[in-house]
Amino acid sequence: MPNRKASRNAYYFFVQEKIPELRRRGLPVARVADAIPYCSADWAKPVSTPLRRPGMLVSKQSFSPPDISSLSLDSDQALLGGIFYFLNIFSHGELPPHCEQRFLPCEIGCVKYSLQEGILADFHSFINPGEIPRGFRFHCQAASDSSHKIPISNFESGHDQATVLQNLYRFIHPNPGSWPPVYCKSDDRPRVNWCLKHMAKASEIRHDLELLTVEDLVVGIYQEKFLKEPSKTWVRSLLDVAMWDYSSNTRCKWHEENDILFCALAVCKKIAYCISNSLATLFGIQLTEAHVPLQDYKASNSVTPKMVVLDAGRYQKLRVENAGFPHFSSSSQGQGSNTATGDYPSGVKISGQNNSVRGRGITRLLESISSCSSNIHKFSTCETSLTPYMSQKDGYKSFSSLS
Amino acid sequence: MSGRARVRARGIACRPSTPEIGRTQASPSPASVDVSDKDTPSSSGYMGTSRISQKMVFLGDSDSTQKDKDGVSSGDVGCTFLGRGGRIRREFMDLGACTREKLAHVRDCKTGSSGIPVKLVTNLFNLDLPQDWQLYQYYVTYIPDLESRRLRIALLYSHSELFNKAKVFDGAILFLLEKLEEKVTELSSETQRGETVKIVITLTRELPSSSPVCFQVFSIIFKKILKKLSMYQIGRNYYNPSEPVEIPQYKLTLWPGYSVSVSQFESSLLFSADVCYKVLRSETVLEFMTDLYHKTGLSSFTQACEKELLGLIVLTRYNNKTYRIDDIDWSVRPTHTFQKRDGAEISYVDYYKQQYDITLSDLNQPVLVSLLKSKRNDNTEARIAHLIPELCFLTGLTSQAISDFQLMKALAEVTHLSPLGRQQRLARLADDIQRNKDARFELETWGLHFGCQMSLTGRIVPLEKILMQDQVFCQPMSAADWSKDVRTCKILSAPSLNKWLIICNNRAEHVNESFLNCLRRVGSSMGFNVDYPKMIKVQEDPAAFLRAIQQHVDADVQLVMCILSSNQKSYYDSIKKYMSSDCPVPSQCVLTRTLNKQGMMMSVATKIAMQMTCKLGGELWAVEIPLKSLMVVGIDVCKDALNKEMAVVGFVASINTRITRWYSRCILQRTTTNVADCLKVLMIGALNKWYQYNHGLPARIIVYRDGVGDGQLKTLIEYEVPQLLSSVAESSSNTSSKLSVIVVRKKCVPRFFMEMNRTLQNPPLGTVVDSEATRPDWYDFYLISQVAHQGTVNPTYYNVIYDNNGLKPDHMQRLTFKLCHLYYNWSGLIRIPAPCQYAHKLTFLVAQSIHKEPSLELANSLFYL
Repeated sequence: MPNRKASRNAYYFFVQEKIPELRRRGLPVARVADAIPYCSADWAKPVSTPLRRPGMLVSKQSFSPPDISSLSLDSDQALLGGIFYFLNIFSHGELPPHCEQRFLPCEIGCVKYSLQEGILADFHSFINPGEIPRGFRFHCQAASDSSHKIPISNFESGHDQATVLQNLYRFIHPNPGSWPPVYCKSDDRPRVNWCLKHMAKASEIRHDLELLTVEDLVVGIYQEKFLKEPSKTWVRSLLDVAMWDYSSNTRCKWHEENDILFCALAVCKKIAYCISNSLATLFGIQLTEAHVPLQDYKASNSVTPKMVVLDAGRYQKLRVENAGFPHFSSSSQGQGSNTATGDYPSGVKISGQNNSVRGRGITRLLESISSCSSNIHKFSTCETSLTPYMSQKDGYKSFSSLS
Repeated sequence: MSGRARVRARGIACRPSTPEIGRTQASPSPASVDVSDKDTPSSSGYMGTSRISQKMVFLGDSDSTQKDKDGVSSGDVGCTFLGRGGRIRREFMDLGACTREKLAHVRDCKTGSSGIPVKLVTNLFNLDLPQDWQLYQYYVTYIPDLESRRLRIALLYSHSELFNKAKVFDGAILFLLEKLEEKVTELSSETQRGETVKIVITLTRELPSSSPVCFQVFSIIFKKILKKLSMYQIGRNYYNPSEPVEIPQYKLTLWPGYSVSVSQFESSLLFSADVCYKVLRSETVLEFMTDLYHKTGLSSFTQACEKELLGLIVLTRYNNKTYRIDDIDWSVRPTHTFQKRDGAEISYVDYYKQQYDITLSDLNQPVLVSLLKSKRNDNTEARIAHLIPELCFLTGLTSQAISDFQLMKALAEVTHLSPLGRQQRLARLADDIQRNKDARFELETWGLHFGCQMSLTGRIVPLEKILMQDQVFCQPMSAADWSKDVRTCKILSAPSLNKWLIICNNRAEHVNESFLNCLRRVGSSMGFNVDYPKMIKVQEDPAAFLRAIQQHVDADVQLVMCILSSNQKSYYDSIKKYMSSDCPVPSQCVLTRTLNKQGMMMSVATKIAMQMTCKLGGELWAVEIPLKSLMVVGIDVCKDALNKEMAVVGFVASINTRITRWYSRCILQRTTTNVADCLKVLMIGALNKWYQYNHGLPARIIVYRDGVGDGQLKTLIEYEVPQLLSSVAESSSNTSSKLSVIVVRKKCVPRFFMEMNRTLQNPPLGTVVDSEATRPDWYDFYLISQVAHQGTVNPTYYNVIYDNNGLKPDHMQRLTFKLCHLYYNWSGLIRIPAPCQYAHKLTFLVAQSIHKEPSLELANSLFYL
């Protein structure tokens, strides 16, 4: 017998989701059928829920072909200055569903990032996983050995969970008020969420943090810029890149010294690198050492001066300072003033690069171009798939296509 | 680690079922190229360990722990075979798939006729049954209901009605050879406590001897018989601890054993047996711990202990069961007590004294903790068993032992039985079964007659000529290896290598010069033009290699060669990962060690040159294939090494009529089973490629599917074949290509020996068996396409599950044999068709090193060789 319920479509669920809101507005809606007339208008609107931030909703209703000139600089600036946090927590494996304790958090990494400035600060700490449930020692050890290789016991660097969480909260959210968005990869989200809750329980700190996925963030930024939704595969391939695996100043000290690839901090930093390399360049941001590990590519190679001038000109035009956008600029300035004066919890490093980027565009560009090799044109394979979306005339060359 | 060992390890990594030791060793495994691209340098040692020990992981009946013996009644029906609901074992599930009746052209006859007939002896024995043999299945209920299986069995068996009858009972389902008078029989008994229990026996089924359920009953009967021959069941096999083979210099003990099964073959019911060994260490965990204590001292003892012992498989001799050490509880002593199932408190010391009459000597030892696998697949909490180190024997080999060449050689001398040695062991088993009074009695009560060893006639198909450039046919000196013949001939086609890089560390400099000269020399004689590369010297760490690649690879670079000084997996993985997805350029990794072998330089260079040619999209040789417009496809599926939830599906299809160029793709999918659900994308991709090159679609497509586990045949027929069919149908509007799907299995029950000069030998290359040892419901055949220098050759089993090509069985067999010649990483025959081996190599690379889909830009070359 066919399942009648299968006939429910996306619109049905859309309407169902809207019902509470309609009721709040005082409309008499008992069931989905009643609500339909009120929802049709909303349904027509383009959806950009992933970011869940009113300030970033695409205001335009029509999908025009991506034309950079027609975009307001305001929204660009807002995006560029917006601050995101990338968070990851590693565990000693995952225990089976019947166990009360599903994960054993052992390492945490967090990065403060904006498209404009790159990585602003990072936070890293090892966590004391606590007592390993009886009988699961081998399971946990095997899981650890196959990835981050953090010892499951007798590891001196592990801090207790309450302290780590407190430090993390101080890093992300030093002042009362609304919490900034925190992102992690969708595959890691259940684990990170569980660990945060678990650590909060242990330390009796309220868990206020809302964890969003990086994939949605990338989709959101892309949509914001080009009013088009990128494909999931494209987003995934953008984030899953091996080239920075061994870059210096990416892993935490311990993982770097022991030459182990899996590091919670490195995961966060690599997200930042990927986004910088493929998205920030679309905005015409000149990549700095805070965006990608440039210092590893110090081969001097000549670049045709013509192109430099061209790029620099456009770059400077873009760099008109604008603080018009309420949400982003306020948050970024607030953060900025804070980091300057605040005391930092342990594990937090503030990037020294964040001010060196300001200055004359052309000199900076020349410097950075000569410092980065022209040979790295293969920097990102996403480039090829990106080009159809952006018209050639916009000319904001990405880091990788400079050669 | 030698190439062969790697290949073996490879087999493990991808197949869920592990070959027992002594079963697989046919020698020139295809990919055993010692020189070049190493596959899993460091992990292979680990996997090697699991090769021996994997079988021992929790195959035992987990009903019994030391803590309670109550649950198990040892002499009776194992519920491992038949669950309460009469669950069918996985091999038997495959028998339900009757594919042959749908294939009109083989319904009447599936045997070929070409080739020279050859008389073969098998490891199969006739098992005769009376014509009207039938089995009666009853369902037994107790009023009031009883939980204890042991009690249920005891009560039923005490009844005189059933006393002398042939019966099998697992606590709920009863099988009888003779029918009871009534359809429903009611009996009543009294327990020791004086309760009266009513037993109701209801007839549920009458089973003919061809029913799969009967095979399970036969298995149970043979389990009883082998027990009577004082063999112990460990896992699925039966071992004889009373005749151990000791290898004292390595503290190893081998238990000889057999794996047996009963099944319906082409024309009769056959009993099959094969020889296997269980590797044990003649060392208890306690002895191991004491040793370790003397080495490390007190301070780091517990840590060292956990590091060494966790994850090892131990065997407890008192019940011959295996356990994995999951944890060590340092706080519990043998003098501590635990609660038995009936609630009584007892100390470990007393328990072992009472239960097994074992006196523990060390009362201060800690206990080992093992998680018991829940038999039901629900999420109930796992049970824990405490084991006493003194009573636990280590099993399997450490990675250290596996890399010990002498040790492995000593082991191989025992386990790799020659055909004659194997035959002698089989004959002894048959003899024992027939002579032992109890065993014979058991057989007789069931009306079975254990017959003689079966021999049959196979055919040797003609050997193939290897086709090189300018229509030079070369009939190799040895069909198994034509590497020498190939050196003088020009290969079919090779792009010239103009711009390429060699990245090496500073120390490797001196070898490079001579190697490069050698490479250019062999290259030119093969017709492969190699220009001087750009040399880049870097420091010795993966980051430096990766950085050098990133800096120097540009659009014109055709190939990157990395000369690595150690076979650390991280180097290889990071290079392969970057070069196959981020920056798709063919890459070749070579170990400094291989280049240092001065005497071997020529053959090393030849092999590397051949691999490089393939990676650039060249073709080495061909065989004559009369079918025009034929596309052959190989599919393999295995699990990702890091993320067990991901399955890696490799798909390799030929894209020219000569079957020398290949289109290779790999897709990762999230599943728990090894069934592919992305075949449509892959197949359509391959057909498009074919169209590009040939301006038409192939008339015939033959798909070889490897990596199929027991019990998956039906899923394959119902799920994968339709995917292939629909993609073929969609790709053309008028006449669609004909399709055949063949399941390739490297592990199969039968073995064949050839009688010659009054002794037994391995059958020669090209031996085909398509009668007697095959199954009546399938269109299947066995093919021997490899030479075993050591031990007994293992035939490869082919099962055609779908075929509308209508090729004669003869042609299908010949074609399969021809395809075994086309694997370019080995200049010789291999045991499975080349596309399968390519697919396997690809999935292995992705599962072990890359963990993501390789770039499509590489799909036209064999970049993974």
